[in-house]
Amino acid sequence: MAWRNLGRNKLRTALAALGIIIGVVAICSLGMATVALQQQASSQLGDIGNDVTVSSGQDSDTDGVTQDQIDEIQNLVTDDQVVPQKTNSTTLEARNGEEARMSVTGVTEASALYNLTTGEAPDRLQSGALISNDTANTLGLEMGDPVEYDGQFYRVQGFIESEQSFGPRGGGELVIPVSGLSNQEYYDTVTIVASDGDAATEIGERLDNQFNTEETEELSIQASSGAQNVGGFLDTLSTALLGIGGISLVVAGVAILNVMLMSTVERRGEIGVLRAVGIRRIEVLRMILTEAALMGALGGLVGVILSLGTGMLAFQMLTGNAMGALDWSSSKYLVYGFGFAVLASVLSGVYPAWKAANDRPVEALRG
Amino acid sequence: MAKSMSVIELDDVVKRYQSGEETIEALKYVDFSAERGEMVTVIGPSGSGKSTMLNMIGLLDNPTEGSIRLDGRDVTDFTEDELTEERRTGIGFVFQDFHLLPMLTATENVELPSMWDTSVDRHDRAVELLRRVGLGDRLEHTPGQLSGGQQQRVAIARSLINEPDILLADEPTGNLDQDTGETILTELTRLKEDENVAIVSVTHDEQMLDYTDSTVRIVDGVIQEVSRE
Repeated sequence: MAWRNLGRNKLRTALAALGIIIGVVAICSLGMATVALQQQASSQLGDIGNDVTVSSGQDSDTDGVTQDQIDEIQNLVTDDQVVPQKTNSTTLEARNGEEARMSVTGVTEASALYNLTTGEAPDRLQSGALISNDTANTLGLEMGDPVEYDGQFYRVQGFIESEQSFGPRGGGELVIPVSGLSNQEYYDTVTIVASDGDAATEIGERLDNQFNTEETEELSIQASSGAQNVGGFLDTLSTALLGIGGISLVVAGVAILNVMLMSTVERRGEIGVLRAVGIRRIEVLRMILTEAALMGALGGLVGVILSLGTGMLAFQMLTGNAMGALDWSSSKYLVYGFGFAVLASVLSGVYPAWKAANDRPVEALRG
Repeated sequence: MAKSMSVIELDDVVKRYQSGEETIEALKYVDFSAERGEMVTVIGPSGSGKSTMLNMIGLLDNPTEGSIRLDGRDVTDFTEDELTEERRTGIGFVFQDFHLLPMLTATENVELPSMWDTSVDRHDRAVELLRRVGLGDRLEHTPGQLSGGQQQRVAIARSLINEPDILLADEPTGNLDQDTGETILTELTRLKEDENVAIVSVTHDEQMLDYTDSTVRIVDGVIQEVSRE
């Protein structure tokens, strides 16, 4: 019944549905684009963003972080991974005569720090080496080739993603087991991999309280705050974008209100007949609300489909992975959008429905 | 006939409307009654109060004074919801301009008054009524595909779907040509006997007087004359 009433004035229904569609598309695709933007930003800044880097402070007696200090840190930071590293530098010479200067990092928990393009970073690096992708290309190194450091040979187990050179661990880099740098007594840096930027800040403060006083700096602690600022900016951006989407939905809601009001005014006589032949007020109310809900669902559905397309496009462009749009963090906006469309439609149907149902049939029939 | 037979009774009914500063007295102490199987025609010039009277009989409006009895029960002070219930079960309406819903088929239009009631399935009765008014071959047509006379016959079928006691007709032949009007009146005459229903109609149309059992003439809200054939 409600369905056929909508079908009667197809143009009007289509226009109202279009209003809803625009509203839904606005709110969904803006929401999804924000998620895509966040993902893209954090994939580029993410690793530095969540790290706390600890090195020897200016008032330290030792030239590095001692094993005792590391144990102490580990006691303080129980949930997150603590990764001590020893660093040096070296020059590698390849068989083709190319030379490359690079930093050498001795680390055990390689998987916590490095993403590889080829091979897999071991949780515990005991033998073998990882090397920057770019450097490997320059030197013509392949998987399984030996590299030499300090008289020891290591087989190349994997190539490090060169994009990571954005961070402080960047540049040409050779990663070997920490035992390869056993001539250095202390660790140069300790990286704590926190779950997010906020956690990193919190860990940084905790370590600072533990090791340093106002006068003396035993350990230099750096919780990167750059990512936090970026995160804050993204939050503001997404609020603003959702605000714009919200306004579009309000506009769409007003459009539905108008359409429902028009259609009930137009059908005043008809509703009068319904009431005259004994259709109850609640039944008239329900009929008109059903019409509104159907219209909202229809518009919402089309809107969701269009938004999914837009969202996937945004993800493809920003993160290179269109399927990321299907992830709950972004697809939840589709659910919100649809829910809002139905809700807004029903709400804007309430007044016309109430008005139509309470019109006295004798008045309605007269004109 | 004895008064207890009356299915609808208006007793000293007064209806006043407020129109701006003025109070209009549309009905002045009107007495009226109709019985099952009887066709009563209310006739009078426009503005005489005959439509107001039909609204009273059809329980579409409450009187200012006086009382209304439906099947012996006093319904004067019923609420809108109670009146809706009485209309649903006891009264059928036929309007001058048919008032069929354009998106529904003939059968669905006939079923309309019971469409929201899931406890009964009136489909068979709807088809049966349409056959009886001669539209057995137009069951799935929408009003747009039917002539005026056919639409009015659909409306008559609709008014009878809930087996009412009273059928109210407001200018039932007003939008129809002479011949079609006569067919409709013949139809109504037959149905009032078959269905044992009281038919009250309001009209300008003098030809209706040939079919009626009793005529009520109303002028300026006062009943001038009641004549029985």
